[in-house]
Amino acid sequence: MSLLDVRNVTHTYDTGTGRPVLHNVDLSTQEGEIVALVGESGCGKTTLGRLIAGLHEPSSGSISFEGSDIAGLKGKRRKDWRRRVQMVHQDPYGSLNPGLTIGSTLAPGMLRHKLANRRTVQAEMIKLLQQVGLDATPVFLQRYPHQLSGGQRQRVSIARAISLQPKLIVADEVTSMLDVSMRVAILDLLLSFQRDRGIGFVFISHDFGVVRYFAQGGRIAVMFYGHIVEEGPVEELIKTPSHPYTHMLLQAIPVPDPVLVRKRDAEGGGSERLTGDPSTKGCVFSNRCPLVRDVCRKEAPPLIDIGSGHRTACFFSDEIPPLKHLTADEASPQPTRS
Amino acid sequence: MNSVNSVTTDDRTLLEIDDLTVAFGDGAGSVRAVENVALSVAAGEIYALVGESGCGKSTLAYSMLQIVPPPGRVIGGNVRFRGRDLVTMSKRELNALRGAELAMVFQGAMNAFNPVVTIGTQVDHILQAHPEVFPDPKEGRQHFEHLLELVQLPPKRIWKSFESQLSGGMKQRVAIAVALLLRPSVVILDEPTTALDVLNQRLVIDILKDLHRDLGVTIVFVTHDLAVVAEVATRVAVMYAGRLVETGTVEEIFKAERRHPYVEALINAIPSVLDAGLTVQPIGGAVPNLADLPAGCRFAPRCRLAEDLCRHTEPPLLGDGGGHLVACHVVNRDVVPMEVSKA
Repeated sequence: MSLLDVRNVTHTYDTGTGRPVLHNVDLSTQEGEIVALVGESGCGKTTLGRLIAGLHEPSSGSISFEGSDIAGLKGKRRKDWRRRVQMVHQDPYGSLNPGLTIGSTLAPGMLRHKLANRRTVQAEMIKLLQQVGLDATPVFLQRYPHQLSGGQRQRVSIARAISLQPKLIVADEVTSMLDVSMRVAILDLLLSFQRDRGIGFVFISHDFGVVRYFAQGGRIAVMFYGHIVEEGPVEELIKTPSHPYTHMLLQAIPVPDPVLVRKRDAEGGGSERLTGDPSTKGCVFSNRCPLVRDVCRKEAPPLIDIGSGHRTACFFSDEIPPLKHLTADEASPQPTRS
Repeated sequence: MNSVNSVTTDDRTLLEIDDLTVAFGDGAGSVRAVENVALSVAAGEIYALVGESGCGKSTLAYSMLQIVPPPGRVIGGNVRFRGRDLVTMSKRELNALRGAELAMVFQGAMNAFNPVVTIGTQVDHILQAHPEVFPDPKEGRQHFEHLLELVQLPPKRIWKSFESQLSGGMKQRVAIAVALLLRPSVVILDEPTTALDVLNQRLVIDILKDLHRDLGVTIVFVTHDLAVVAEVATRVAVMYAGRLVETGTVEEIFKAERRHPYVEALINAIPSVLDAGLTVQPIGGAVPNLADLPAGCRFAPRCRLAEDLCRHTEPPLLGDGGGHLVACHVVNRDVVPMEVSKA
């Protein structure tokens, strides 16, 4: 049984345009698995995350957690599901209540779900602070969010999520507001919970670098305007992308090596059609696609399996060129790492 | 060591910062966000100022326009543009330079527009404030349309738009076009790619390179992202806790030999999509509080190479004959101290 099953979900926000933000999305994750949702701003990845976390109800389709449709959960079972799926938001400046101390941020959830009582909650919170690498003292619990750095706040958000002993955490761009130097530490912290407690992750990011590091051994689903256009194992999808949109995203990533930058630029492939609205007829990506043919403008390609759980929605997936500058044997010798 | 903090000028030098110190606050409570920094930007360069949050890179960029927000102020050194010192310049002279010669795109350019008037009206206001650049506003509008094409936006639609009708990536590109409106020789951008998704980052990177090539504009940009530095910059200055720790060409900064341990740690902390990105290492600790700096080298408490000397003596910024300067006792051990003339 999958931990999470998203079946044929379509979602429309009530904005008047009537254009769905998610179209017939299917996605499932196993216990302890990491699934990354990747795509540009506005592709629907955050909406999908919020539906999974139960912050909205889908317009149609179903989301099941541990085999039960969450729309039908009532009473104790609903409360239990609420506890077992947690979310860490993108903006650590917006996701903590500025009027609450760290202690008042962390305590209510544990009390509500009877994971601590009035007597033990202080000790439990200090244990949590230590687990997320914060100053594990009663004084820290008295602090307010404005007294903390962005990295510290994000650790408080993570502490709040793990305090309820979840099975699944939806992590929405958790490092994008942080300095590059802080990102790895936060990712490592989340990975330790996946490893030690078997917590699964739906990891939302537009940054393939962060995704490759975090979701090692897991899967990536690439989204474009509400459609999953490609899905597969992390390394396979990055090394042999099978959808032109995935290729475009990978080609666009800034590379921290001036030698590789020049090499890639010499190979060509400019930034034409990096932006633009989705097509309303045929393949959703056809307006921007460099490989587009007549058939793509008439018919939408289905998401089909091309082997070992790698799915793509492209008629010409075998024509996607490799990304030479990203493959190991083509790369320049890397600087020695300490 | 004084020679390190002074810079000689050649004909191509546009911006020259000499022994600059910027302090926030007075007396005992004051901190120095920028301390004894010297660098020079030549015409046609794309110069990157790099470091973590709180290292002084934005303050340094603001000082290039003399717009350091109070209580910050320059307490020592000079900022020269084409040989004229901006620190001692009158407000009127400065205003004539700002926008027309030295332009800036602020961080969070998405929030830089007035939400209740159209982009076109805002551009008209700028043209009215600087009649000396375009005596005929029609010409200015045409120039702006041309700039919008260069940043790959539809001119007619943008002119009539309110900022709320544009996406974050579009607004960033409009802000870049606005900065170039008065044909400045230098444009300074604070974190131009931060908060954009990968495709919009790529677009901004490509556009900066195009503008540099097509308009010959000199670019200074502030970033914490070394991948963007590798993509765009020709020359780089890395700052740490208010000090310059390494400057050189982009190739020199990324080359493994003779590199400041802070720069090495920054490069190794990037979870890039390259295979090497799988072995990243976080940098332990944090940038020190400027009000409570460690003795000696400011990076020493986080440094894997630190030794006793580093903990009591600040390392000088030294070259090895060229323009590649590093402030590290250990890395510079084999370098014979010599007169350094250019940062």
